Amino acid sequence: MDIASREYARRAREILQHHPQVRESVTGATVNFDRHRRSAYERIDAEAWRRWAEGVKTHLLTHLDRYLEEMEENLRKRGARVHWAETPEDVHDLLRRLATENDVRRVVKGKSMLSEELGVNRLLESLGVETVETDLGEYILQLLEEPPSHILGPAIHRSLQDIRDLFHRVHGTPLDASPEELAGAARRVLRQHFLSADMGITGANFLVAETGTIALVENEGNIRISTSLPRIHVALVGIEKLLPRLSDLSGFLQLIAGAATGQRLGTFVSLIQGPRCADSPDGPDSLHVVLVDNGRSRLLADSEAWEVLRCIRCGACLNICPVYRQTGGHAYGWVYSGPLGSVLAPGLVGLGAAMPLPFASSLCGACEEVCPVRIPIPDLLLSWRRRAVEEGLTSSLERWVMRGFSGLVTRPWLFARVSRAARLLLPFLRSRGLPVLRNWTQHRGGLSPSPKSFREKWKEGIE
Amino acid sequence: MSRESILSRVRAALSEHPRRDHPGHLEGERAPGDVLARFAERFRESGGEVQQFGSLEEARAWLDEFTCDFESVAVSSWVPDEVRPGLREEEPQAAELGVSVARLAIAETGSLLLDSREGRAVQLLPPTHLVWVWTSGLRDRLSEALEEVREELPAALALHSGPSRSADIGQITVKGVHGPGRVIAVVVPRPGSADLPDR
Repeated sequence: MDIASREYARRAREILQHHPQVRESVTGATVNFDRHRRSAYERIDAEAWRRWAEGVKTHLLTHLDRYLEEMEENLRKRGARVHWAETPEDVHDLLRRLATENDVRRVVKGKSMLSEELGVNRLLESLGVETVETDLGEYILQLLEEPPSHILGPAIHRSLQDIRDLFHRVHGTPLDASPEELAGAARRVLRQHFLSADMGITGANFLVAETGTIALVENEGNIRISTSLPRIHVALVGIEKLLPRLSDLSGFLQLIAGAATGQRLGTFVSLIQGPRCADSPDGPDSLHVVLVDNGRSRLLADSEAWEVLRCIRCGACLNICPVYRQTGGHAYGWVYSGPLGSVLAPGLVGLGAAMPLPFASSLCGACEEVCPVRIPIPDLLLSWRRRAVEEGLTSSLERWVMRGFSGLVTRPWLFARVSRAARLLLPFLRSRGLPVLRNWTQHRGGLSPSPKSFREKWKEGIE
Repeated sequence: MSRESILSRVRAALSEHPRRDHPGHLEGERAPGDVLARFAERFRESGGEVQQFGSLEEARAWLDEFTCDFESVAVSSWVPDEVRPGLREEEPQAAELGVSVARLAIAETGSLLLDSREGRAVQLLPPTHLVWVWTSGLRDRLSEALEEVREELPAALALHSGPSRSADIGQITVKGVHGPGRVIAVVVPRPGSADLPDR
């Protein structure tokens, strides 16, 4: 998926003005997710778990070369094929080759944000391979031809009625169908796809170096079926998704479920070590694990921004974000949205392309408090903002104003004179409706300057 | 080659960061009380059903009554004859009921640990899934269970914690979206073993 974050302000405005339903649906869903997250954190010693998880991921990242090699060796021993991809084009080349060599006609997909990042669906369609998203939310979005708006609940911006209308059009279900009837219609259609697919494509939540285990977490069962029935399974994995040991999975599986939806564990967790072997009656004949870089190793070298590579994609920071809740993910113009997207995008696609996402935040800090791996998101946002200023990516008016302001506040004599002039002039300027002041006073009380400045009062002696 | 260039960039990047040690094992929840009771409570919490019998005879009697509502069944190769339903057997995609055997069951998360060696389709395709849990296979914590299976890992394992569900349609929870919409864990002593009902 190409990044279109430059349009952030326009898209946000459009959503808020013309699609008020989006704010209602997204806020409802995220408040709900967050309430469950909070009760899960209360069940455990959340602080200790989060510190532990931060420690494991930091250890993993600072030994990433070693663990990548260990994981590769273990997967190969079990008969899996391991591929390395630096760019989306590398992944496309590989998928093209696999599809051709194996005569792949139909692909079923499990929800994978990485596959969105890499533009996998578009490629497969260009090859004439029928590609079906099988997560219910992703399936709905595929029918609507929309990108996901939340990494966990891709269709949370759509209401029940939206989906009734869609399914009425596509599947002929009644306009007042219950959620059960709608899900039943999708189940029947998708079941046929599962039974006839040649290839299943998934992401991975974790990849254990010690055993080569691919861990996939879900609630519907579509990922389990996609990795069990088709004769080929392809797992796309970012190189940062590794965990050192199998025993680490216990903590991470529980933490990701709690942080995401408050569950003790995702309803279905697949732990895949390799393709079907002689001991198993079914399962894929071949398993391809694609290790994807796409900017991650470069980000690892960034001594500040690298911390975002600990992210386990639970969505907790989106759910609590007061800015994300207003628009949902589409305004951000990229596959990863919300606070996570705003600190990941500049690291993966470059700051210039990701502008103005680091500024799409109120810096309230709630995201850092809920993050299961304690990523200091507000610090990272500030770091990107600082760099944006240094690289001249912010507006020239803003730079001019800030330069003027710093000239003013570092010269006390000038500050005293200017502030005195401002106090006297402000009542007149206000009625003229100056641009910045007009915006400020539109939804707030007017600016009424105090007759004396703080420094004057200070000299006179404040009681 | 991609592999070499990725690894060399990773190695170069790591010179930026001091290496950090692994923090060791996570001290998870250690709840007092009966493991079976905790498993049952948590499996039910996520919408699963739990039956428990002290003897195979009782389990058999329950099974015969339970299966009256079904026409056809798919049975995994791990299910012993003592607890094999007397129904018409079908392929998993056509059967109304799937029957399998859990390798272990975990109280901490209310989960069944299933193994690919018994077949995966039987665990996933029938709308109702009945899983035999041997009393000796109950474990307190997930970390314990993973540690135990580490030395004998099949092609795939799976943890099932309740029925398939989704809230993707207007945030309303629906069961049985792709996997089984109904799952029943039946805890019994293992046939032909000296399992005691209360481990």
